[in-house]
Amino acid sequence: MTDSRLFIENLDKSWAAPVLRRVSLAIAKGEVHAIVGENGAGKTTLVNILAGLTGLDGGRISLDGDHYQPAGAADAFAAGVSVASQELATIGTLSIAENVALRSLPATRGVVDRAALAAFASEALHAVGFDGGDIDRPADTLAVADRQLVELARAFAGDARLLVLDEPTAALGAPQAGRLHELTRQRAARGTAVIYISHRLGDVLAVADRVSVLRDGRLVLTATANSLTVDDLVTAMAGDIFRRHAAPGRPARPGPALIEVEAITTADLPTPVSLTGRAGEIIGIAGLAGAGRSELLHAMFGLVRLTGGRVLRHNDGRTVAIDCARRAVREGVALLGEDRQSMGIFSGLSVQANMMIAGAAASPARRIDQRGEKAAAAMIRDKLGIRCRTLDQDIAELSGGNQQKALIGRWLVRDSDVLLLDEPTRGVDVATKAAIYELLYELAGNGKCIVLASSEIEELMTVCSRILVLSGRELVCEFVRGEWSGKDILSAAFKAYTGRVH
Amino acid sequence: MTVLQSIRKHAEENFIVASLILLILFFSLATDNFFSTVTLTTILNQLPALTVVTVGMTLVLIVSGIDLSVGSVLGFSATVVGVATIGGLPLPLACLVGLGAGLACGIANGFLVAWLSLPSFIVTLGMLEMARGLAYLASDSQTVYIGASIQKIALPLPGIGVSIALVVAIVIVALAQFVLTRTVFGRHLVAIGTNEQAARMAGIDSRPYRLAVLALSGLLAGLGGLFNAAYLGSSDPNAGIGLELSAIAAAVIGGTSLMGGRGSIVGAFAGVLIIAVLQSGLAQLGATEPTKRLITGAVIVIAVLIDRWRAR
Repeated sequence: MTDSRLFIENLDKSWAAPVLRRVSLAIAKGEVHAIVGENGAGKTTLVNILAGLTGLDGGRISLDGDHYQPAGAADAFAAGVSVASQELATIGTLSIAENVALRSLPATRGVVDRAALAAFASEALHAVGFDGGDIDRPADTLAVADRQLVELARAFAGDARLLVLDEPTAALGAPQAGRLHELTRQRAARGTAVIYISHRLGDVLAVADRVSVLRDGRLVLTATANSLTVDDLVTAMAGDIFRRHAAPGRPARPGPALIEVEAITTADLPTPVSLTGRAGEIIGIAGLAGAGRSELLHAMFGLVRLTGGRVLRHNDGRTVAIDCARRAVREGVALLGEDRQSMGIFSGLSVQANMMIAGAAASPARRIDQRGEKAAAAMIRDKLGIRCRTLDQDIAELSGGNQQKALIGRWLVRDSDVLLLDEPTRGVDVATKAAIYELLYELAGNGKCIVLASSEIEELMTVCSRILVLSGRELVCEFVRGEWSGKDILSAAFKAYTGRVH
Repeated sequence: MTVLQSIRKHAEENFIVASLILLILFFSLATDNFFSTVTLTTILNQLPALTVVTVGMTLVLIVSGIDLSVGSVLGFSATVVGVATIGGLPLPLACLVGLGAGLACGIANGFLVAWLSLPSFIVTLGMLEMARGLAYLASDSQTVYIGASIQKIALPLPGIGVSIALVVAIVIVALAQFVLTRTVFGRHLVAIGTNEQAARMAGIDSRPYRLAVLALSGLLAGLGGLFNAAYLGSSDPNAGIGLELSAIAAAVIGGTSLMGGRGSIVGAFAGVLIIAVLQSGLAQLGATEPTKRLITGAVIVIAVLIDRWRAR
């Protein structure tokens, strides 16, 4: 298949763990090839390799038969590969027109040719259906949908041999997405090969010639779009990983309600969400990236302003509304943030200080009881099996899993009853994962209520007694242990995206 | 483009220029002879050094860097000019060597920041000490008398009342503003300062740009050293102490963001003028040195407050 436009052969890439494993793919001239997969399946890494932003560890890529290994984004454009990335890369202080032409500003002897710039940009913007007015104004005046169009105009401008569109319709409404699909087909008709990545499975089947499914870094399916259904795609994405972990966790014997979420809405969660967390429960929050998992936990912890509804905490016979993080901490609600580095550890401080910080924060005027803290920290360390040389060791020197345990310990010090955990096993090895699961069972057994948000459905199915699924920032359904299947959960997570746009 | 659009587009510069005009009006009403030729030429002819240094600083700030070494580099370059003249080099050659000294400091800064990924704050803080040390070593901590020939650069030209140095400084302001707003190089600087990752995805490698602005800042500090030596007729190893702070202040008053991505050379020049007018106007009102510092400091903070408020 060396006559393909893009030919990927046995591509390997690892970060801490393998992300892409022996991926092989051939895309013909004029073909629109969609790639779908769960969070973390390796789609973004593949895009970054093609865009020249990341190197590869093994394998070979050729473009029209020539070896293709770009050293940077500029190299990729020069070779005729144009990428519209998922994260919007518009530069707010430059004008809309300059953003469109940023890859090569039209210029004579280094001076920008403003007439050529205006002509180039307005043509490219017109093609993608941008009607945001004056293109000389700064791009930071644009709404997010228009910024996506600017990004797409940049990618579509010029005659790329290979066009890579990563979630191109994430911010677009239906008419704009329809127009984009038309344009994509037109480009393909002129010979451009297109890689189209999207969570919107309906769109994928409508626009693509062929579809590939990535699962856990492996390409598990490639087939023509008209031979597939949305259901087929979900099945392929889910695979049999769920059956492997179908072993039941500990049966939950729910106690009294500890936290009640009553029809809350926030700026990020427009549709009311309700849930009740009881003592002894582990509740899972599932959803794709951007579905609103973290946003829900943040709302429950009082980090964001509620636009409707309320969060009630039943604490020792009292009922208190959680309206700020300080009150949440006082009432025994704890949040473990998604990003350990930026939201969790205080690197440079000792393990002990890191565990005691929430206690100290609650009463800044209190004199620190050195001996008491040491004893409490030692107890938590032994209980959670935190491996460190001494309690005075800098927490940054610990492994990711041990840091995570110390952070959970931080909230145990305060004897928090409601634990909101956001991706607590991200980036930790399998053994530590198991240890963290054991810890969660034990905490639940001691009457804590745990709300666990995770991008790994497998993990939720292992530890949770109930799983709530968010899709498109909306709570779409709830599953109870014993009545779920991995495929159903994944299918629910895709719910907001499976409607066809055109 | 209509005049109205043009005015709106340059709102940043318009605001700061309007403030400058108001300030000049205030002092000309409040004092007897603010507009006298002597006062004006005195103000203007003290400006070239700070102006060119501020141009360099603004470019560095736009790529979200900072250059704390400009004052010391200015002192070092001035010293080099003096020492080279004493050593027998003809004056034009000595001036070139002085500029070269500034450029060398700037390239050293730029290399460390761009290619070794060190923070510009720390690198240029180090250079601040090193360049000053070199200035003292080269001159044995003594002021070196150069002579009247160099003063031609800084003395008002007969008939016009403006020095060559001032003309050069204004040309550099205009040139830098053109480069920033109209050339690919300038637009890339803005892109890098706003969002380096996004710039990288558009194929812009930030390293040569970081090197270029720091090298330019060094060169312009060298030019400032030349102007300073010309103004004094001698080279003072203590020249330019604290000048980096005045340059940062002028840039910020002129609407440049310390977070990078946003800035204007013309605005920064207006910032230089505002500081200068404030200094001499207050002096004529009889304000003491402590009062002048108090008011100048307050103006810097107020400028940032107004800028924040306007950005909403």
